[in-house]
Amino acid sequence: MTLGYILMQNLRRNPSRTALTVVAFALPMAIFVAAISCVVALKEIGESNAKQLRLAVHDKTTLTNGLPERKRREIEALDPDRKRLRAVCGMRWFGGRVPDEQNTLTSLAADVDTFPVVYSDAGMTETDVEAWERERRACVVGRAIAEQYEWSVGDRVELHSTVPPYLALEFRVVKIMTNPSVANYFFFRRGYLEESLKEAGSENPICNVFWVKCHSVEDLRWLQVEIDRLFAGTSEATKTEDESVFKSRFTQAMGDLPGLMEAMAVVVVVIIALVAGNTMMMSFRERTRELAVFKAIGFASGRIFAIVLGESVLLSLMGALIGIVPTAAILLVFPVRRLNYGPISSLEVSSDAIIASFAIALTVGLVSGLWPAIQSLRLQTTDALRRVA
Amino acid sequence: MSAADIELREVRKSYYKDRLEIPVLQGLDLEIEAGEYVALMGPSGSGKSTLLHLLAGLDRPDGGSVRVGEAHLESMSERERTRWRSRHIGFVFQMYYLVPVLTAQQNVELPLLLFRMSSAERRERVGTALDVVGLTDRADHRPNQLSGGEEQRVAIARAIVTDPDVILADEPTGDLDAKTSSEILDLLQLLNSEFGKTIVIVTHDQRAADRARRLLHLDKGVFERDEARQASSAS
Repeated sequence: MTLGYILMQNLRRNPSRTALTVVAFALPMAIFVAAISCVVALKEIGESNAKQLRLAVHDKTTLTNGLPERKRREIEALDPDRKRLRAVCGMRWFGGRVPDEQNTLTSLAADVDTFPVVYSDAGMTETDVEAWERERRACVVGRAIAEQYEWSVGDRVELHSTVPPYLALEFRVVKIMTNPSVANYFFFRRGYLEESLKEAGSENPICNVFWVKCHSVEDLRWLQVEIDRLFAGTSEATKTEDESVFKSRFTQAMGDLPGLMEAMAVVVVVIIALVAGNTMMMSFRERTRELAVFKAIGFASGRIFAIVLGESVLLSLMGALIGIVPTAAILLVFPVRRLNYGPISSLEVSSDAIIASFAIALTVGLVSGLWPAIQSLRLQTTDALRRVA
Repeated sequence: MSAADIELREVRKSYYKDRLEIPVLQGLDLEIEAGEYVALMGPSGSGKSTLLHLLAGLDRPDGGSVRVGEAHLESMSERERTRWRSRHIGFVFQMYYLVPVLTAQQNVELPLLLFRMSSAERRERVGTALDVVGLTDRADHRPNQLSGGEEQRVAIARAIVTDPDVILADEPTGDLDAKTSSEILDLLQLLNSEFGKTIVIVTHDQRAADRARRLLHLDKGVFERDEARQASSAS
């Protein structure tokens, strides 16, 4: 028998309370890991977007107001030698759903000629580009969507638009995009959409966003100012933003998501610290006499301090383990990208979150056990024994 | 087999309640020979338990000296007294105070965790102690699976497993019925007569006191009577 064995056995002393404390630890830890993983994923996407050197040009008032497609030429005219600007790609929102499904996919009609350049993160090869340019109904699909609907290259798929005039269009998959930044996107040719709208008697060639691919960060900053200056004071004034700012609009529609999650994580830590502290104090008070007997037998104060503190740390780490392992397993088996929540298309359990969780569990265990452990150092054996005698 | 003599000189001890001094022991002198069996009696608050705690080194006197064997407890630090206690004192409590999640065997083994010894030696010592108290067949039972008398016997095994010089018992039969009390007293008498242990027992029970060869009456912090007597035989 060792002190470690005694620690483990002590946790069996009140199995219901131990179980409830472990669960009270495990659930917040699970939430913490998921929340921090989300924050990490969002930040990674933001960093990835920033690397793409893309500007989003849209109507100054609202995204739903389309801009005429001629604006692409006007933007391109700002840099006729293409020293700053690599390409401009107009995009129009389609908002398609797979028939009989509820989720609206981030489905966008893109200019056929410049899409492969502007969206280089789609990772299109020459063969992919050839197929994209050759086939009127070509579409390129992010991995998350392809996995969700079990699509592969060559499949014919159908989407029903959720915006008037509610077109139902058929496509052929020519590329599955594996890059996490586009894993939840569905792109197809804007020409196909405009022709279909014309056939439906709804001709109005517009773009919701013009994506401008730049050569460098300096070029991006310059173009951002010049584009808005070009259209300022007209009825088609624009707002030009870099991609990470533009996309953060969608996540921040629900508030500052990363900030919210970080705040939630902090609250979670405080809650578990209080729960663990309360449990350890209760456990200590119940066992004051027993600890006094340990002292009477000859256990030094330091050993008793270690027993009380060790029990708290053990309980915390058990809770963390039970919270983290299933969360990691669930996220592995059921990737969050299947929720089709655009910004977090590639959520995986962050190793940073796991390390942080165990560090927090250890800290909480030490902090919550510290006060009872100090009390055990101060324990007057004779007083504690006399309480019963 | 070992025993130690005890000597107290001018021992004083007070407690404080709301800054008010409550004298408990007032200049006690006492000599107990090695291998003696002494019973301490007296009304509640007379200082019996305080005296026992001083003998165990759980507390220090405000004045005077306490010597147990070679150890002068009044001049030792808490750390030194704790270490000394683990090697020289066996303590038996009224409420047994066994660890509920450990088996009888593991409870007896507890004090041995403070010693450097092989697990085989530890097992042997635990086995011997359980054999002495007659509980070998209950070694794997937890306290809640034992009767009160059996629990107290485990507590006695825990007290003797380190082969201490002195066994101190605070109301060891206070929570037991007459028959079981008699069995526990038999056991203490055996430890004294067969193993030569110095035993000091605090009790309110006259039958328990009758087993001792010396009876000390304590009242208001001083010895009222000190009777040498013929111990009654084991049942």
